[in-house]
Amino acid sequence: MLNINFPKIDKKTFNDLELSLAEEKIKINIRGKNKDFFTKVGKITSIILPTEANTSSSNEKFNALWLSPDEWIIYFDGKDTNKVINNLFNEISKLNFGAITDISDHWVCINIKGRKTFDLLSSSSPFNFNSFKKSKNNVAQTVLNHTDVIIHHKEVDDVNLFVRRSFAEDLWLWINDSARFL
Amino acid sequence: MPNYRVKKTDYVDQTNRISFKFDGKTYFGFKGDTLASALLSNGIHLVGRSFKYHRPRGIMTCGSEEPNAICQINPGTDLTEPNVRATEIELYEGLEASSQNCWPNVNFDIGGINNFISPFIPAGFYYKTFMWPKSFWKNIYEPLIRKSAGLGKSPTLPDPDLYDHKHIHCDILVIGGGISGIIAAKIAAKSGSNTILIDDKNTLGGSTIFQNNENFKINDEISKDWLFKEIEELKKLKNLTIKTRTSVAAYHSYNYLLAKENLTDHLSKNNKTSNIRQRLWKIRSNKVIIASGAIERPLVFNNNDRPGIILASSVNKYLNFYGVICGENNFVFTNNDSAYETALSLFEKGIQIKIIDIRKKTNSKIVKRVEKLGIDIYWNSTVTNTFGYRKLNSIEIMNLSEDGSNVIGKKIKAKCDCLAVSGGWTPMVHMHTQSGGKLNFRESDQVFLPKELDSEHISVGSCNGDFELDDIIKNTNEKVKSLLNLKETEFEKTYVSCTKELDKRNIWLLPNKITLGKTKSFIDFQNDSTAKDIKLALREGFRSIEHVKRYTTTGMATDQGKLSNMHALGIISETAGVKMGTLGTTTFRPPFTPLTFGAIVGRNVGQFFDITRRTSIHEWHIKNNAKFENVGQWKRPWYYPKENENMHQAVQRESKAARDSAGILDASTLGKIDIQGSDASEFLNRVYTNAWSKLAIGKCRYGLMLNEDGMVYDDGVTTRLGDNHFLMTTTTGGAANVLSKLEDYLQTEWPELDVFLTSVTDQYSTVSICGPNSKKILIKLFPSVNFNDDDFTHMSFKNSTINNINCRIMRISFTGELSYEINIEAKYGKSLWEKCIEAGKDFNITPYGTETMHLLRAEKGFIIVGQDTDGTMTPIDLQMDWIVSKKKYDFIGKRSLYRSDTIREDRKQLVGLLTEDPKEILEEGAQIVSNISKKPVEMLGHVTSSYFSPNLNKSIALAVVRNGKKMKGQKLLVPMENKNINVIVSDSIFLDKENKRLNA
Repeated sequence: MLNINFPKIDKKTFNDLELSLAEEKIKINIRGKNKDFFTKVGKITSIILPTEANTSSSNEKFNALWLSPDEWIIYFDGKDTNKVINNLFNEISKLNFGAITDISDHWVCINIKGRKTFDLLSSSSPFNFNSFKKSKNNVAQTVLNHTDVIIHHKEVDDVNLFVRRSFAEDLWLWINDSARFL
Repeated sequence: MPNYRVKKTDYVDQTNRISFKFDGKTYFGFKGDTLASALLSNGIHLVGRSFKYHRPRGIMTCGSEEPNAICQINPGTDLTEPNVRATEIELYEGLEASSQNCWPNVNFDIGGINNFISPFIPAGFYYKTFMWPKSFWKNIYEPLIRKSAGLGKSPTLPDPDLYDHKHIHCDILVIGGGISGIIAAKIAAKSGSNTILIDDKNTLGGSTIFQNNENFKINDEISKDWLFKEIEELKKLKNLTIKTRTSVAAYHSYNYLLAKENLTDHLSKNNKTSNIRQRLWKIRSNKVIIASGAIERPLVFNNNDRPGIILASSVNKYLNFYGVICGENNFVFTNNDSAYETALSLFEKGIQIKIIDIRKKTNSKIVKRVEKLGIDIYWNSTVTNTFGYRKLNSIEIMNLSEDGSNVIGKKIKAKCDCLAVSGGWTPMVHMHTQSGGKLNFRESDQVFLPKELDSEHISVGSCNGDFELDDIIKNTNEKVKSLLNLKETEFEKTYVSCTKELDKRNIWLLPNKITLGKTKSFIDFQNDSTAKDIKLALREGFRSIEHVKRYTTTGMATDQGKLSNMHALGIISETAGVKMGTLGTTTFRPPFTPLTFGAIVGRNVGQFFDITRRTSIHEWHIKNNAKFENVGQWKRPWYYPKENENMHQAVQRESKAARDSAGILDASTLGKIDIQGSDASEFLNRVYTNAWSKLAIGKCRYGLMLNEDGMVYDDGVTTRLGDNHFLMTTTTGGAANVLSKLEDYLQTEWPELDVFLTSVTDQYSTVSICGPNSKKILIKLFPSVNFNDDDFTHMSFKNSTINNINCRIMRISFTGELSYEINIEAKYGKSLWEKCIEAGKDFNITPYGTETMHLLRAEKGFIIVGQDTDGTMTPIDLQMDWIVSKKKYDFIGKRSLYRSDTIREDRKQLVGLLTEDPKEILEEGAQIVSNISKKPVEMLGHVTSSYFSPNLNKSIALAVVRNGKKMKGQKLLVPMENKNINVIVSDSIFLDKENKRLNA
């Protein structure tokens, strides 16, 4: 039996702020341009990929985040990666309609919620959250304390922050330290 | 002692008494005071000594332009800070400050001797004096100059304070909370814009908020009362953020500004603890309104630097804002009407006041009022000298000639302990120019004004050259309206009644009976530059203001010439006969006022100094005593010392174990890029120097990537996972750059290719096991996999599972040993590693770090990009001709490989080096020469990698040597500090050239 080890991220609560590790999640990087690609993704996940920059679309199971005109991340709760990924891979990658890559372990998801969520993010992200925070389903690719992150505004004052696994613990320590000063 | 606190004001709470220490003596002030106002209220004028001549200096201004009153705060503690302006620090209980640049004390300073030898040390004397004799430089001149340099003492202990950064975005940023800033902010916020108003003081309102004068009325109210109401209304606006105690330090392109907010500097020591001291705001604003005001100019005359000589507007502020008078026998010395406000304020308080005006006569409203009150005015006159060593006690006045170029008549000596000077106003255009804005010159009052070309920022108020109250309100309203595209505002019908200046007269250097060489007419008070110095610079041939500045050090002190630059320009202009507008200004560089290092670095100190990346196996490495090396941002295990081993011993043990039995390495940090698409193999053909089309599924191949200039950029092994699916590995440090470069090529150069790239560096943990027993360990871990050499050849891979978890096993080697790499999802990385260690116990499996990895690969002659290459090496230079396809139509860098320079045979080439003494280890970076006696010594190359190999029992090195390929067997020298090391050029492969171990 192989044990699972996630970066050390404990649940923490501060005034108007709650931080926690939001794993396990399946994350799939999908890339493609043509009509078949969109059709296949729609058929397998029942989701229409967002084409407006920095937005997301969701259904009961899947969240799809726009990353670039031909790149998205689909993420959802779960452990068994094989079924959905294999489906997508066989229907898209193998047929040369696009590229499907499992990145479940590449990114770590940290959930930040509370009234001071965006105060925290503004401490070290140059991104303008003024309009971002007003509506949900927005996506930002920015840096937080010099670390690349993807921010998904899931609900009002409730974001999923994706950070590369290797940076996760370092960023987590910084987030904790920052939260003290809000 | 006379009481200098003569008045109660709205801004100083005289019920809240505060004690503080200056130069070890306890004084008292009130809440709301600055250190400067508190000192003045105690009759203290002498607060420091000047930089060069150590002349006694006193408080001269009330703002950030202060050149003299710069103090050491909290001396002798970890909170100490030099060069803090007494005019800017708010008084708090427990504040301790001391004067700077004096010894033993400010009243008696040994350095004062410089004042007496000043004729021998004019501007630029050190450029000439310290030229000879040469031997004096190191032991006499340099130590002496270093000892004299600088003001104040830097803290030697770690700063215990906390600092922070924060980003903020807005529609409109208003810089400056004076009357024009208040109007601009109100219009902007009321128009619905998300607005930020910033002011460096703790109270909004600028100089109008204490303008209690019948001559200045707005809508029939005294200007200060009208403004007070406006501020109260302003504070209620919801989309307006007001930040006081915040000063803009820098204005960069695209309306990106940095502002420092003081959060605890004004609090008593007990209240400061565990709070953030200063926050640096990083502001991005759609539009910026600069309302930073103007600075009053001093006047340049003999001995114009004595304590007690203060700017007229500052004397006014000390009286009307802080309730403090600066002297009992006051003179106002001016060339304009604004100083008459000071005279009126002092007169109304019953303080003795007389006026010296260089103008011949004027009949403006305020002047008439002064005359009506019976205040004496010396028209067409100038101060020719001042007296009093530590404090001004008298002045000498003379009449000016008709043209103002000379003085005439009798000298009048008058008792005076406060001389309020005013030479007009200089708009603060620093922010405008920092943003890239240009300047115009207005001849009538000799000021530089913002030349506005874009619609993203404007300047309003006195920083835009509007010095009269009615102009300020009218023009601010019009400009803000235009900026925001508004039809009308609430300020359209604002009625202003104010005095208007009718006559102007400006003389940059006031005349004197004494020749200039014998006067001390200061221009830059902090750096002790005089008018004489400027003229000397001109005589010595300097014409450009930038050159004069550097020769005389005018404008180079901590105040950056806020008071001095215009006078320097004026004197150059007059002396050289050049129009002032054509001279231009020196460059206004950020920061506007000094920033603390703490504010600059924010919280990126200690554990947050730099970001770090960790592999999923990091915890195991820590538990097993790994020493870490920074590779890019990764923390990689460097070596694993046992008991008392040093690095050398650990590396020797680790490398021996890897060659003799089995070693294990965490290779997770290598960059990994997933490549998919029907043109994936064509893409690799274009990216790498070798051919990829025929690589079979399940096989791996080493590739070398070049830059467009043909120089080696990166390398790694790429594996074909499927028909149109590859996994590329890159160097650890190069991963991000390689991905960016490849994505850039796909988007801009080869958009026709059907290829998609995805970074999967963090997706997989990679465990590398090498050594003659590695196969046995792998068999234990993966019993179902056929590891037979015929079935699982070198440079191939197999998919497998371990405990039902998918993984990839690759047979590739960076050590020259039989070697396998296992890729597994990162969350299982640590667990897999532990399983490998467990399975390898019987074979003495030994974890090894990057240092051993480097040694093992050097034995085999494998290069490390970045260590054995430096951006100037082609594959041919590396003796890797075999990897450059001659058949391929093109690949990145191909054309450059055939340039005349890259095909030269005498280029530096990678070779091996063996020392004559096999125990002697060369230093990496050491130079290589052939003949040390022929001068100048010709450098042939340098050592790139060097180790002692326990497996070969001798020292080995890789080096780049000019024409190295043809030098095999030749003897060369590596000169070191105490000896020359003899080396022989060898093949770069030291071990197992036949690849027997690799294919074992």
